[in-house]
Amino acid sequence: MVPLSDREVSPEIIAHCRAGDRDAIRVLYDTYKDRVYSVALYFFHGDESVAADVTQQVFLKLITGIAQFKGDAAFSTWLYRLVVNACQDMARRRKSAEWSTERSRLEEFPVGGSQEDDYARTEDARSVRDAVSELPPKLRMAVLLRYFDDLSYEQMAEVLHCSMGTVASRLSRGHKKLADRLKSLMGAKG
Amino acid sequence: MFRRHIPHQLAGLLDGELPLAEKKRVEDHLAVCGLCREEREQVRMGMSMLKHLPPAQAPDAIWNAIESAWPEQQQRSVAWFRQWFGQWLPAYAVLAVAAVAGIAYWTMVHRHERLWEVVEIHGSPGGGQEPIRKVAGVGPGDWIETDASSSARITVGQIGSVDVGPNARLRVVTTSPLEHRLTLERGEIHAKISAPPRLFFVETASATAEDLGCEYSLKTDVQGLGLLQVTLGWVSFQWKGIESLVPAGASCRTRPHEGPGVPYFDDAPEELRNALENLATEKFAGSSLDTILRVARVRDTLTLWHLLSRAGVPDRARIYDRMAALTPVPADVSRDKVLELDAKTLTRWKEALAWTW
Amino acid sequence: MLRLGILSLVAAMLACAEGFTFVIGSPVASQQFQFKAATFVFRTDGCGDVGTQQVSATAEGVLKGERQSVALKVIPGSKPGIYAVFQTWPTEGQWIVNLKGTCGNASAGAIVPMGPKGFIRESAKFFPHPATESEIENALKPLMTGGKK
Repeated sequence: MVPLSDREVSPEIIAHCRAGDRDAIRVLYDTYKDRVYSVALYFFHGDESVAADVTQQVFLKLITGIAQFKGDAAFSTWLYRLVVNACQDMARRRKSAEWSTERSRLEEFPVGGSQEDDYARTEDARSVRDAVSELPPKLRMAVLLRYFDDLSYEQMAEVLHCSMGTVASRLSRGHKKLADRLKSLMGAKG
Repeated sequence: MFRRHIPHQLAGLLDGELPLAEKKRVEDHLAVCGLCREEREQVRMGMSMLKHLPPAQAPDAIWNAIESAWPEQQQRSVAWFRQWFGQWLPAYAVLAVAAVAGIAYWTMVHRHERLWEVVEIHGSPGGGQEPIRKVAGVGPGDWIETDASSSARITVGQIGSVDVGPNARLRVVTTSPLEHRLTLERGEIHAKISAPPRLFFVETASATAEDLGCEYSLKTDVQGLGLLQVTLGWVSFQWKGIESLVPAGASCRTRPHEGPGVPYFDDAPEELRNALENLATEKFAGSSLDTILRVARVRDTLTLWHLLSRAGVPDRARIYDRMAALTPVPADVSRDKVLELDAKTLTRWKEALAWTW
Repeated sequence: MLRLGILSLVAAMLACAEGFTFVIGSPVASQQFQFKAATFVFRTDGCGDVGTQQVSATAEGVLKGERQSVALKVIPGSKPGIYAVFQTWPTEGQWIVNLKGTCGNASAGAIVPMGPKGFIRESAKFFPHPATESEIENALKPLMTGGKK
């Protein structure tokens, strides 16, 4: 999985957040922002504007609702439920974006290395991004949650309101579809 | 012999998430099933492909925006709570724990109940009495009603306020931190909301105003004949799949059984506004569209864009041609796709036109 | 051969420079709710590499007979190349917002007059160079006399 951050917030930080401590909330935000943004970005086909909107919604809802967080589930489970709800809500509003790849919106990501390496990496990323975009939304969300935050199947089942068996099934089907779609890329890699 | 394949367990196996017994069953099956082994490799390859997906960094602008929309009220009430907690706990351990739990519960319950608070009423409902300065909090199912001589201000959780004019009647529907919703039966309100989009909704008999970060006035009668005027930000006005985007400086009528009308800028030529009013009753049968097309300015492409989806194909072509004459059409917006009402094309054009609104 | 190389280089520079300009709009153009209270938003057109462009803004005005200049913070949007300007200059007096931009060797400028209801789109002026002092003074004059040239 992608080690975007190997930090999780401590219970003390969460307690301070519930008490309205702005600095604690900033720590919380810094811990999770890239993961939340990445999930939203790739769920919405690389649309940075939508991903930013979703990320803002998630954290503002977190700020206004953290007092309701009872602590009877892992914090990340509660957070990612907000993420999933925000993505689903946004997808309902953007029906056309949900079922199509908005290629005109896909941006290139800056990468380091030689020009040839850059080009190859950019093309690979674009291919994978396109393939992820073509997954049905439920499979896409499961794949992204697992990849960017390494949630356990049990946590994902809570986040997605389904059984662990369903989580396993969605991940199996999602990854298989990616492999089918990216055969040519895999062929080039040997 | 019928063999049950195990395609849906393959990711669980590779992720080490299968219970021991199930893991053994899957491995035993893989030992004898070439098809599932092949699928396992496909799932493995799919997982490995994701390493090409670079993690994205959230732009700094997001935190700036969160800070600017920070709910101030939350911090004041919680600061009091923290002070009280610190005072009791060291002195009376057992009692303090119970007191803290009780106060925390009370704070949570009553804070939730007071998520909407009618702050003050000007004038005197019923006439001739002393003005009521403050009314108890309101929650889901509660009605708020003003008469000819009174008005009110409602604090909507921590995201803004709604000023309620005279002779208004509205009902609180939802007051959760994730959604605030009210139904305006009649009268006029002025909403000032400082929150992410899609957190605050106002329903009328003929349309729902979905806040996209804004300030607006909305008035309606019991039948649902109403007017939305936006002064800051923009509002999505919706009803049964019909949607009108209303930016600051624009208004939009709504009608019973028809939903939101076509938005127009408040500074649009009077001829255009009158013709738009007539168009609603003519249903494109009269000459109102001719008038609208003739007097429309570049900025009135807001109106014209919304008319596209409400007009038949011949009129749609005329509207397109007028829009193209007023402002350059983006290269990725084709006439054919517009006339087909292709959603993505219309969205792209709207985003380009928004720079002229 | 040398002449051809120089001509190619000049053509390439012109291609990069050509059409670099500002476009201004109401906050709705940004589609970002956090810009709803912005005075206006703007973007650049014609810059081949948005990552290398530099933009800045100042509010230039006259307050109680005195000429003033206020540096403004230009807030980038989540979409590259889109920015917002929020009012941090005094509400009294007559003001314009002066935008400056560079993209490689190309420059652009814009003068956006402010009125009681916000920016005056139809009076905005755009230049292939940063606005000069006299251009700024000329833009302020109609505001001081109450005109909307």
